[in-house]
Amino acid sequence: MDINLKNNTSKQLLWIGMAGISMFFAGLTSAVIVRSAEHGWDKIVMPEWFWYSTAAIIMSSIFLIIAKMQVRKGISPTPYIVSSLILGLLFSYFQIMGWNQLTSEGRYFVGPGSNPASSFLYVITFAHLMHVLGGIISLLVTTIKSVQVKYTKENYLGIELTSIYWHFLDVLWVYLFIFLLVSLK
Amino acid sequence: MNILIILVAFLVVATLVQLLRVGELLSEVKNQDVNKVTEKDNKNQSMIMTIVGILFLASCVWQYFSWVHLMLPGATSEHGVTIDNLMAFTMILIIVVFILLHIVLFYFIYKYRKAADNDVAYYYPHNNKLELIWTIAPTIVLTVVILYGLSVWDQITNADTSKSEVIEVYGKQFDWKARYPGEDKTLGSYNYKLVQGLNALGVDMDDETSLDDKVTRELHLVVDKPVLLKFRSQDIIHSAFLPHFRVQMNCVPGMSTQFAFTPTKTTSEMKDQEGEDFEYVLLCNKICGVAHYNMQMKVVVETQEKYDAWLAEQNTLSEKLLTQK
Amino acid sequence: MSDHHNETFISKYIFSIDHKMIAKQFLITGMFMGIVGMLMSILFRLQLSNPGESFAVLEWFLGDKWAPGGILDPNMYLSLVTMHGTILVFWVLTAGLTGTFANFLIPLQIGARDMASGFINMLSYWFFFAATVVLLISLFVETGPASAGWTIYPPLSALPQAIPGSGLGQDLWLIAMTLFVVSSLLGGLNYIVTILNLRTKGMSMSRLPLTMWALLIVAILGVLSFPVLLSAALLLIFDRSFGTSFYLSDIVIGGEALHHTGGSPILFEHLFWFLGHPEVYIILLPALGIVSEIISVNSRKPIFGYKAMVVSLMAIAFLSFIVWGHHMFITGMDPFLGSVFTFTTLLIAIPSAVKVFNYLATLWKASIRFTPAMLFAIGFVSTFITGGLTGLILGDSALDINVHDTYFVVGHFHIVMGLSAIYGMFAGVYHWFPKMYGRMMNKKLGYIHFWVTFISAYGVFFPMHFLGLAGLPRRYYTNSAFPMFDGLSDINEIITFFAILGGLVQLLFVFNFFYSIFKGTKATENPWGSNTLEWTTPIERIHGNWPGEIPSVHRWAYDYSKPGAEKDFIPQTEPLKEGETEH
Repeated sequence: MDINLKNNTSKQLLWIGMAGISMFFAGLTSAVIVRSAEHGWDKIVMPEWFWYSTAAIIMSSIFLIIAKMQVRKGISPTPYIVSSLILGLLFSYFQIMGWNQLTSEGRYFVGPGSNPASSFLYVITFAHLMHVLGGIISLLVTTIKSVQVKYTKENYLGIELTSIYWHFLDVLWVYLFIFLLVSLK
Repeated sequence: MNILIILVAFLVVATLVQLLRVGELLSEVKNQDVNKVTEKDNKNQSMIMTIVGILFLASCVWQYFSWVHLMLPGATSEHGVTIDNLMAFTMILIIVVFILLHIVLFYFIYKYRKAADNDVAYYYPHNNKLELIWTIAPTIVLTVVILYGLSVWDQITNADTSKSEVIEVYGKQFDWKARYPGEDKTLGSYNYKLVQGLNALGVDMDDETSLDDKVTRELHLVVDKPVLLKFRSQDIIHSAFLPHFRVQMNCVPGMSTQFAFTPTKTTSEMKDQEGEDFEYVLLCNKICGVAHYNMQMKVVVETQEKYDAWLAEQNTLSEKLLTQK
Repeated sequence: MSDHHNETFISKYIFSIDHKMIAKQFLITGMFMGIVGMLMSILFRLQLSNPGESFAVLEWFLGDKWAPGGILDPNMYLSLVTMHGTILVFWVLTAGLTGTFANFLIPLQIGARDMASGFINMLSYWFFFAATVVLLISLFVETGPASAGWTIYPPLSALPQAIPGSGLGQDLWLIAMTLFVVSSLLGGLNYIVTILNLRTKGMSMSRLPLTMWALLIVAILGVLSFPVLLSAALLLIFDRSFGTSFYLSDIVIGGEALHHTGGSPILFEHLFWFLGHPEVYIILLPALGIVSEIISVNSRKPIFGYKAMVVSLMAIAFLSFIVWGHHMFITGMDPFLGSVFTFTTLLIAIPSAVKVFNYLATLWKASIRFTPAMLFAIGFVSTFITGGLTGLILGDSALDINVHDTYFVVGHFHIVMGLSAIYGMFAGVYHWFPKMYGRMMNKKLGYIHFWVTFISAYGVFFPMHFLGLAGLPRRYYTNSAFPMFDGLSDINEIITFFAILGGLVQLLFVFNFFYSIFKGTKATENPWGSNTLEWTTPIERIHGNWPGEIPSVHRWAYDYSKPGAEKDFIPQTEPLKEGETEH
């Protein structure tokens, strides 16, 4: 298959996959909308750590954008991809810290300390993190390939695909974060 | 025994294989392709289609006339009659369309089979006017169906319940109980955590209005008096189905659902009509476990006097739960 | 230029990335599961027509535990009903139908070497295979397979105390379904991207065969709806295994008051049916596409109203997203919402009617050739009319009150799915078998298969409407607990008789299929005189599909019996003659 076609179809495959993932989160967020309208829905203050993780993932996307700009100029994108990966790992760490903060404030996933609101908060952030894991694996692979100088300024499909998926996770997180902020007020 | 079955199966398959091989060899001898569809095939198959088609439609008619007496008797509730009318209207509509379209289908199959070399098709790719006609015609018909259907639905779901007798119907694996509100015409509050022993419905006995409630094993209703059934479930989703009254409503743990209707024929009137064995019944109609097929409650529709007499015989909750210790 | 590479048995038959092989993998797995699912229905039909009677065959298949003394255990009855539904809806009519024909036909009919990503395609089959293994394992667990219905409503599906099948059996079901959904999504990605990007020169969207349109739209439907099932399942898994209260509240079971509060089973129903309804169109639309093709080829006439057929496919797909509430009319939902769903549901009848009229118009002044495939296509039209019309009753909320969850509904959905969609699948197999295997299926056996199936199938499902109008609920182990149903036992016996007859004749089809793979008469390149591109590939089937350049396309797929042409068909690859206009 000619290289341009391969690039285009790969990207389209990814886009449609992301559409599917979005529908998965649409299902979860509609469940929140339906449930939050009924009685027994607690107000929850968003743990600080989730604000830090939001910053981390946004910054990690920015680094990927720079990485793409660099490779287009023929400069090695490795340092930027690595930064992105580190920030991605930080995101994951901050999410876990966020859950810790929630439990220390008495907000649990299950059991007597739980409430539909807290259960949904955990489920949605957990589901997102699972998809982030996929993104991190993708970033790892891209890092390794970048170190091996597999990307040229003509063809950097791997970076493009990783970026598209990573930006998607970023935007998805921002959407979920704002959505949860509003729903848990 | 098992070996015998396997052997027989093997022999059947082997025989079929040989039969097919013989058929193929014969065709080879006659220089024919055994799998080519010939004009003779077209004539035969279209003939079979016509015969089967006629028999099929005839069988549908036969089924109707054989089994119409088995279908539910006419609705014995006020809204049920409107449902039955809507059903008759819609049924007649779809039966007419069903028969007409099938006649057209079978007729075309027969008439336009390729029976001879010069049976050629007519190249006719589209006709926008026809498309418009057969888009607009169903739309008009469906608009009528929709409007009629929605008006009946609205009537049923917006029924005036201000004068209705409120009765709670409580489902659990695998039986039903009814709870009558008593003199104060108010059902006592409940909490699922209070379900225990004789207090099978988890009624809050600290609530004064609970004291005169009566929990019964049968559902008795007064003929021609509006009733509002409120449904609860103890464990999983059940569905209270009272087919003679055209009533069905899910019973969902954690929420309360309801259905309002007015019964119009007493049980004894129905016994005269349908036979001595007739009983109204409430069945479970949502898969609920191993005895789902036998989760039922007897329903009786009677005169006010009989109803009052029956109700007077039932114990109140305060009698059942508070005095018997 | 075909893609030569050294093939091992493994790379050719097992981990193949060739779309044609993957299609066959889906087909064979689908057929196998179809037999399993159909067998289950025979087993429970025996119980339904002869309640409490002992049948040796029940004990033979289910053993002493689930059919002691040859009498079906009531819990196993519910498991059989559940697994039958699951297997037929998902394994046979979704994976078996779309997985086979999308994989086989898409690259061939659009003029491509293979799918956009052969690797993802291969993964899609192996996820399906894994799902199949997990589901089959669930049949053998101690507490029995899942038994809360294929719709697995909680709390029944969440609480093992409510029914044994909701223990390990339900866990395995959920795992199998997760793998299944991933398989479907991976497949769908390819179908969409391939159709949009890899069409050969001249194959514009408006020259695509209707089968391609149907499969494209189905793939989009799947991508948008299957993930919501996953979200529903995820929350259910948490309720089951972690004690959350997404769907559970105020429950006392087994004498114990459970801790769950705040959950709503109705939430599950909304999420489930948001997939559940598009799912039945995911099942139907490929059959609609296949039948359009087969009716046209065997009528030697263009499919009537190509544009209207495409638009109606899109309309059905779009509307399918906004009708799901008609499965929930009697849940106590807001009556206004019920009205909205009645309105949208009855609207779907319009594009469906348009399609039926277009099929009939195609048959008008046709020159019909009765191949077994054509017979099944005609059977499709009949059952689509019958099943579709009863949908008008069910979609009307006021009428649904008395037929919901009765045999009326069972009759309706079996006629549209179990008959229409399966007929589409059979038609597709008979029609494309020569292209798949280079040989012809036996015609006489095909005729016998069709007629016995057609008659038996109506014999099974038409009477069910009467059972439903008599008030008989579905998923009942026996009807003998209610005197009001005593008169229905004759009907039940008739149904079981036809079920057994219809079930047995499918074995004839299976025999014909496998016999013909090895011993069928050799096919020619284009045995049906069809216009579409797949019939321009060599009989032996090669990687990359065409030995030389991929042919270009100059016209739509339906120039049959065009005036002025030499033959009664003009393949899409034929350039337009001087002065000839495209249709």
